[in-house]
Amino acid sequence: MTTPTNTVADAAATRKRRMSRILGLGLLPILLVTLFVVLGLIEPRFLRSANLINILRNASFLMLIASGQMLVLIIGGFDLSVGAVVALTSVATALSMTGLVSVFPEAQLFVVLLGVMAGLAAGSMIGVVNGLTVAFMKVSPFMVTLGTLSIASGIALYATQGVPVYGMPDEFTREFGRLRYLNLPVVIYVTFGVLVALWWVMNWTRLGRYIYAIGSNAHAARVSGVSTTFYIVVTYTLCSFLAALTGILLTARIGSGEATLGGTLMLESIAAAVIGGVSLRGGVGRVELVALGALFLALVTNAMNLVRVDSKLQTIVIGVVIIVAVGIERFKSRGKIR
Amino acid sequence: MSASVDGPDLSASRSHVWFFGFFAKYGFLPVILIALYVGFGLVEPAFFSGANALNIIKQSSYLIVLATAQMFVLLTRGFDLSLGMVVSMVSVASSLVMAGIAPNGEGPVIIALLAGVFAAVAIGAMAGAVNGICVAYFDINPFVVTMGMQGIAFGLATTLSGGFPVLDIPVLLNKGLAQGAWFGVIPPPVAVCLIILAASYFVLNRTVFGRSLYLLGANSRATEVGGIPWRRYNMLAYVICSSIAAIGAILITARAGTGEPSLGGGLVLQSIAAAVIGGVALRGGEGRVIHVVLGGLLVTVLSIGMNLTRVDGFLQEIVLGLVVVGAVFLDRLRLKIRL
Amino acid sequence: MGTQDKRDMASGDTAPVDQSGGSDPSLLIEMKGIDKRFPGVCALDQVDFDLRPGEVHVLFGENGAGKSTLINVIAGSFAADGGSYMFCGEKLGRLTPYHAREIGISPVFQEFSLAPDLTIGENLFLGRELASVGVLNKGEMRAQAKSVLEDLGFDLEPHARVGDLPRAQQQMTEIAKALLREVRVLILDEPTASLSERETDRLFEIIDRLKSEGVGIIYVSHRMAEIKRVGDRVTVLRDGRKIGTVDADAVSEENLVEMMTGRTFDAFFPKIEHRPGDVALATTGLTTKNRQVIDVDFSVRAGEVVGIAGLVGCGKSELARAIFGLHEITAGALMLYGKTITSPTPSQMLKSGLCYFPSDRVAEGLSLSRPIRENVSLAALDLADFASKGFLKIGSEKARAAAIVDKLQVVPLDTEKQVEFLSGGNRQKVMLSRGLARDINVFLLDEPTVGIDVGAKTEVYNLIKEMAEAGAAVVVISSELPEVLHLSNRVYVMHRGYLAAELTGEDITEANVLAHFFDRDHETEETSSKISEGSGP
Repeated sequence: MTTPTNTVADAAATRKRRMSRILGLGLLPILLVTLFVVLGLIEPRFLRSANLINILRNASFLMLIASGQMLVLIIGGFDLSVGAVVALTSVATALSMTGLVSVFPEAQLFVVLLGVMAGLAAGSMIGVVNGLTVAFMKVSPFMVTLGTLSIASGIALYATQGVPVYGMPDEFTREFGRLRYLNLPVVIYVTFGVLVALWWVMNWTRLGRYIYAIGSNAHAARVSGVSTTFYIVVTYTLCSFLAALTGILLTARIGSGEATLGGTLMLESIAAAVIGGVSLRGGVGRVELVALGALFLALVTNAMNLVRVDSKLQTIVIGVVIIVAVGIERFKSRGKIR
Repeated sequence: MSASVDGPDLSASRSHVWFFGFFAKYGFLPVILIALYVGFGLVEPAFFSGANALNIIKQSSYLIVLATAQMFVLLTRGFDLSLGMVVSMVSVASSLVMAGIAPNGEGPVIIALLAGVFAAVAIGAMAGAVNGICVAYFDINPFVVTMGMQGIAFGLATTLSGGFPVLDIPVLLNKGLAQGAWFGVIPPPVAVCLIILAASYFVLNRTVFGRSLYLLGANSRATEVGGIPWRRYNMLAYVICSSIAAIGAILITARAGTGEPSLGGGLVLQSIAAAVIGGVALRGGEGRVIHVVLGGLLVTVLSIGMNLTRVDGFLQEIVLGLVVVGAVFLDRLRLKIRL
Repeated sequence: MGTQDKRDMASGDTAPVDQSGGSDPSLLIEMKGIDKRFPGVCALDQVDFDLRPGEVHVLFGENGAGKSTLINVIAGSFAADGGSYMFCGEKLGRLTPYHAREIGISPVFQEFSLAPDLTIGENLFLGRELASVGVLNKGEMRAQAKSVLEDLGFDLEPHARVGDLPRAQQQMTEIAKALLREVRVLILDEPTASLSERETDRLFEIIDRLKSEGVGIIYVSHRMAEIKRVGDRVTVLRDGRKIGTVDADAVSEENLVEMMTGRTFDAFFPKIEHRPGDVALATTGLTTKNRQVIDVDFSVRAGEVVGIAGLVGCGKSELARAIFGLHEITAGALMLYGKTITSPTPSQMLKSGLCYFPSDRVAEGLSLSRPIRENVSLAALDLADFASKGFLKIGSEKARAAAIVDKLQVVPLDTEKQVEFLSGGNRQKVMLSRGLARDINVFLLDEPTVGIDVGAKTEVYNLIKEMAEAGAAVVVISSELPEVLHLSNRVYVMHRGYLAAELTGEDITEANVLAHFFDRDHETEETSSKISEGSGP
């Protein structure tokens, strides 16, 4: 009923939309560059290479988890459990490594490999549960992932009783966790690889095409022969997998398994995705922009640290940023006649 | 969507109607509630004691207050994720006000208490107004708005308190609002809870505002076409939600005897769980005061039962998560039975 | 529901054996005794249907007669509860939409199966992308999309995002999507409802070509001219039953309408005595912000019914919505009983005695999960009958609602029943009850009979008659031409947001109205390009 047929309104609207798309794409890089320049001018410590690498590293963690969140948002869902998945993965990895290392003290590499697999599996399981429940029960993804959030972090806390797990092999914490190549931490390369792969998936594969199609109009996808339930499960699993990967990289970095890891990541992942232009109504979103969104958040956080804004105040800033970003998105799409 | 299936006309046999009608109205909840009570009692006989029964009622009143708050926004097809952190923020802020006027109970204690309560409700209402304006007038997803507010309120709570409990609040708060009994029989939190329930019942069932909440939750565009100022009412729902949560915060602060920045951690989940388990629909437009009471009782019985049977605290969090997912299943099931 | 039991027994098993024995393998589709029930509703009752290669078989009937259920069964979206379905002489088992497309049954529903955020090209291949091991072959798909669109003669750009297209182009995309693969049966559900004359002609050429290739076409339409133009046979459905199949050439409009409604032409549409009095509602130069209504001069007098006709999306519904305050007005004047109203709001218009009844009852008319009583009083909560000072008067509300429901003969009469349990006709009555719950003198009825059965339709028509003869001003906006033609004292035709014509008296004929549906094609395109230049960012 609300589809436009009036060519007059439509021609104007199309033009306006094209403009806003260019603006939407152009605004974030411009904002980033401005922020970068301003910070460089007012705070010389900002431009030190150690600081820049630090920003990139923090942004990498966020990019990974936010791109997972993006997949779920594009398909028209939501994942509140990503932070808890990070915690669960961290604990599962650490516990299985410390357990295995006493059994196979010689084969450290083997232990590391098994531990990483265990962590990834544990984290991805949550995604499978999320996906199955959302796809087959057709319940609000929000409630489901709120529930699994509690379950995952409960398991992580219960397994460790809230105490950090130490004693993972040095191969993992020292050599992998602090590994650098060309002076850049390995996490940056991993993230870059994952982002490129995701970009390819979203643009050049059937899976990506269907994620967009389902989020855009699930009914249309279904009658066109797309198995929506299957792809929903795959998408939630991918999201949790990426969160689990983040959890493993974070665990390697801090050197212990922590049930409290990833507390703010849920909020930040949604923030990064939304700043990157992902629509909460599904169907719209691009990996490269989400990466920029994550970089933006990392820059803002770094700036606040440099000028010594209390870390507690920072959650306020992130809260405001989320609301404003979604508000702008809302405002932009208001002109759309759909 | 399909015009041909515009409306099924139900005419099943009488007994079925009664049977399903009962579940459609109250869910399986009363049955589960009794089963849980008896079950815990069999495992741990102390559960059956009168003192424990009183404790259940007393403890559940806190949750019921918060779940009632949550219900006001759930009815509008919304959500309030910030509820827990608003409780923390209000707890800290009102404690600071009280401690400022009458540190350690030295000074005008009554004025301090009144000012504290006033500040609590005012701050709560303000947070609610921000949520409500963003949701109702700017059409921003309630979930994102309240999630942002959660961050903001958490930041304010920890900043205001520096991360530590506010200790020097008047003891009278604890004595008057948590301990003992009003009129010799009724524990203060239960009394406050009953007042809130009665007021909510009246507002929801006897006022144009309450009616409009149901109507707009069921179909906001229909209320717009019907000339109801739904945006205003939608915003007010968030204000009321946060205001009731603020009263809950005062009660909880009184119970703890200190203003705590970490008070509200698990409360969002619990309040939503209680309301939804009780039978408040996630898709809006459905939910009654009795639902919240039943849901609040259930979650409390579960938690006290697990404490008495010495279930690990972290394990309880897992159980709560399962209960939330279970509640969503039940919500779907109710819908299926009805249609 | 008296026949329910009998039917249950008749279709006790799904009859795996071909009962008739005499199936004809030369038929594309042969359906016998198809039953389809929804909870409490019998949508199809022992319907027979067949389709020959190279013919256009028109399905004709009211909304809710079972046409859309039947094409959904044919396309595999619904499974039939009973009867046999043969495709090219072979019995079909459980058919899914996907499977149906695989064997060459391509439906084009009114509800599009397009993803608005994807491009035309991406939508054409949705669900059957050319890919190897999951990797898309974009170049090949682009080339094929281009050639298919060219072949069909559709002026569509494969890169355009579907959500940005006007409805007519979305319709053409949907048709192209259906024709992309090998088609043996094409189902078209009111395809011309939003197409312009030129696009319609193009569609008919394609239909002729498909016919010559031996494709069978099932065509749902209400328009007589169209049925005569493309149809070979016409099957009429009423209340889920097949009334008959006739040759399109040999049948008159009166015949079809009588078959469709089950009553004589004159009994179906009541004779309304129009006694036009003062101008109740008038607009001059009305233009909305979204430019779906442009420069409209329109008026309705007390005591008359005025019809507004036009293509889907021509702005007829937006005109009423703008008057009621649901679309922003940027230019022009609005007068209600001689009083100028600058920026109307729904509550203000209701207070002034004007009420708009939306076409989409589910989306914006009713609060389905709430009881009848609350829906009756929904638009009147500011009145002393229902509330005072913000407090509800439940007792008085119950009495008033009961009286209104009784007058409109809503079934069930129980006002505490949730509206979602009501049939389409009764839902419509509940919504119309708003006009009785408060003092309403100007009724804007947007598609008042969409999705309701014949009996309820006559009741709605009689209600319109009653209101008009009691001195109310009634505006009927409808896509069902007969409705507009036979109820109205005057008829306005809208086209692309403009008022194209005003017809009175003897001039109110289908031919005249249809002529104005399209006639300004060229003219408006010129103006539109000018306007878009002016209003560009």
